[in-house]
Amino acid sequence: MAQRLIAWIDQRFPLTSFIKRELTDYLTPRNLSYWWNFGFLAGFLLMLQIISGVFLAMHYKPDVNLAFDSVQHIMREVNYGWLIRYLHSTGASAFFVVVYIHMARTLYYGSYRAPRELMWWSGQVLLILLMASAFMGYLLPWGQMSYWGAQVITSLFGATPLIGDEIVLWLRGDFVVGDATLNRFFALHYLVPFFIVGMVIIHLVALHHVKSSNPSGINLADKDNIPFHPYFTAKDLFGLGVFLIIFCGFVFFAPEFFIEAANNIPANPLQTPPHIVPEWYFLPFYTILRAIPDTLGGVVAMGLSILIFAAMPFLDRSRIPGGARFRPFYRAMFYIFMVDVAVLAYVGSQPPGGLTFKIGVAATVIYFAAFLTLPFLSRWEERWLRARGLPPALQALLDSETEPKPRREAR
Amino acid sequence: MAEDEGVDEKRRDFLLTVTGTVGVAGIAAACWPFISSMNPTLDVQTQSNTEVDLSGVAAGATRTVAWRGKPVFVVHRTPQQIAAMAQSAGGKDPAPDQARVQEPQWLVVVGICTHLGCVPNKTEEGWLCPCHGSVFDNSGRVLQGPAPRNLEVPPYHFAATDKIVIG
Amino acid sequence: MSLRMFICFISLLTAQAAWGEGALKDVEIDHSPAALRRGAATVTSVCLPCHSLKYLHYRDLLKLGFSPEEVTGLSMGNKPEAALLALMPPDIGEQTYGRVPPDLSLMAKAREGGPHYTYSLLTGFYQDKTGETNNHLYPSIRMPDILGWSSADAAQRAVLETQANEATAFLVWAADPRAAERKRLGYYTIAYLVLLTGLLYLIKRKVWARLG
Repeated sequence: MAQRLIAWIDQRFPLTSFIKRELTDYLTPRNLSYWWNFGFLAGFLLMLQIISGVFLAMHYKPDVNLAFDSVQHIMREVNYGWLIRYLHSTGASAFFVVVYIHMARTLYYGSYRAPRELMWWSGQVLLILLMASAFMGYLLPWGQMSYWGAQVITSLFGATPLIGDEIVLWLRGDFVVGDATLNRFFALHYLVPFFIVGMVIIHLVALHHVKSSNPSGINLADKDNIPFHPYFTAKDLFGLGVFLIIFCGFVFFAPEFFIEAANNIPANPLQTPPHIVPEWYFLPFYTILRAIPDTLGGVVAMGLSILIFAAMPFLDRSRIPGGARFRPFYRAMFYIFMVDVAVLAYVGSQPPGGLTFKIGVAATVIYFAAFLTLPFLSRWEERWLRARGLPPALQALLDSETEPKPRREAR
Repeated sequence: MAEDEGVDEKRRDFLLTVTGTVGVAGIAAACWPFISSMNPTLDVQTQSNTEVDLSGVAAGATRTVAWRGKPVFVVHRTPQQIAAMAQSAGGKDPAPDQARVQEPQWLVVVGICTHLGCVPNKTEEGWLCPCHGSVFDNSGRVLQGPAPRNLEVPPYHFAATDKIVIG
Repeated sequence: MSLRMFICFISLLTAQAAWGEGALKDVEIDHSPAALRRGAATVTSVCLPCHSLKYLHYRDLLKLGFSPEEVTGLSMGNKPEAALLALMPPDIGEQTYGRVPPDLSLMAKAREGGPHYTYSLLTGFYQDKTGETNNHLYPSIRMPDILGWSSADAAQRAVLETQANEATAFLVWAADPRAAERKRLGYYTIAYLVLLTGLLYLIKRKVWARLG
């Protein structure tokens, strides 16, 4: 019966061949570490956010007089409303944790390099869409942090030359963040995930075309590629289990860990809280914004700090295969960059002040310097490595894994 | 599969069955909070009773009150209506009138047609549902039309001679 | 506990000098059911005249172990599904104190320090040199010293400390009445996930063993 049903479908839709091509015959490098689990986790979180979001939307009211109350109604009166809301609020933070790790893995192992530039860029678009969705979603509880976060970020667009004020007014639909703003943010917060899903499909189509990168940084020979199913389905599901244990630990036992105290106060357009901070995942970029004394300069720097990742395939001029594993200078720079981002995040969480401001400026300079020195550093590193002779491990890998075809061409 | 892997294969099959069962059970359980969240919320479930002051309702008049969002007809019946109802057994869903009232002069029924949920309009003889023409008498019993059952009598009690509490 | 509270906490540990009279008192809050019920009685009699707890209903108090009769007693003639609204109308509050006294439903979560803030505020009143009542935590607060802390002697203060502690415990409950249910479900969920993840690990190991 089942076979006949599948045969019926296969005549009309390439079901079996699709599963074969994309899962059971889809070749994946066998040496992928657990760092390669995070893309799958991001996909899981996208589904979780969409599902929990749809159910929250059934009870949420995007009206300045009702929004805060409706969230409390969800928390107290809706059956399991507290669970769905905490899944969604914790899920937002978890999404960024997972995506940032996914990006850090890409940077460390050089997965952005040819031929995976389009994967990296579609990922960039996904990051920006995720940030937009998170930012708009954060306004919806209509607490003090929600309100003043939206007020400050929409004000940033006022730095646009000539038409800044008009743009801010247009974005808000009001002279301050108000009812119109809340309503449109709700509509867009519901819309953006559809774009994200579309972009994820592009990301995955590109992935299945170029195949996964792997820790060695070079394409492995056929003998070292294994089918995605069952090997990586098993591995991804196990990783999901570990992730869920940690995630549920937060949801059930520390759900307010990522929620600012001031967001439990209803939005008050007449009074700014004494110390406003963005959500933790925006902190490094917020510091970069504050490090530049000029508003327009700050906005441009903040925008560049996100967009500059897209330039990585061009900035990295090294022809040594792989990422940081075989490249000591690049590796050192990667770790310096990670520490620098942590410093930026810490500075962003602190009130503006003399010393923290100076640290923030220094960290901002280091942030951009890391990118801008990469073309020179990578070239220099390559010369240095070749002069010393490639590490035996890398040479051995190159010898055993390189397909014979390029060699023939070289001859 | 190679033959010497047969034993392992069996063990893996067993393991797969167990894990699959546990996993599917977990997914099913995880669906419950979402399904449950669409049920009436706590504040809807614990909506209270509705008090109706009968003193202002003249004989022959009807007061419509909301109870848990539903319309409830409170009818002050005249002696003639009471007498007429006591003689009739109703229509397709026969029920004696005295089983449907606590005090003969006060009829309390949920004003929702048992057919498809419209609110019937008051007529001289009882009610006429505007949607599909069901006819109810002054005891709320269906006489003709598609409605299958009589108008529902909500739970209520007399808190005083001129005050009832519905719910 | 928010991320920023966590960072503040770390900063406080490194800067001991910050623990002055205006700092939060780090007391252990008694969350026992009996303490919560006494706290509920304190809050409904002492705080509710001016402050609302509008996200709470009298029926919710049943979950603290009160009998329906006791809830009727606490509700002062309100229906069980009525919200805990201040006895004083908002406009009178605004006239008397310059602003409507804030709603207390979420107070235990809405200030840095959470319950410690509430407790420290209630026990932070003192009489300054001019004889005016003031508060260490919230200078020139408009709320009166409702427990009479500033004029109490040491023996009375021991009683008031318990009262403030219990009221705080009730406010913590009021800010998150589903906490107990949440944690209970959390234990089951995590236990289940540990089992499932263990099984998935075995499968993963078994599948990968085929590669040799």
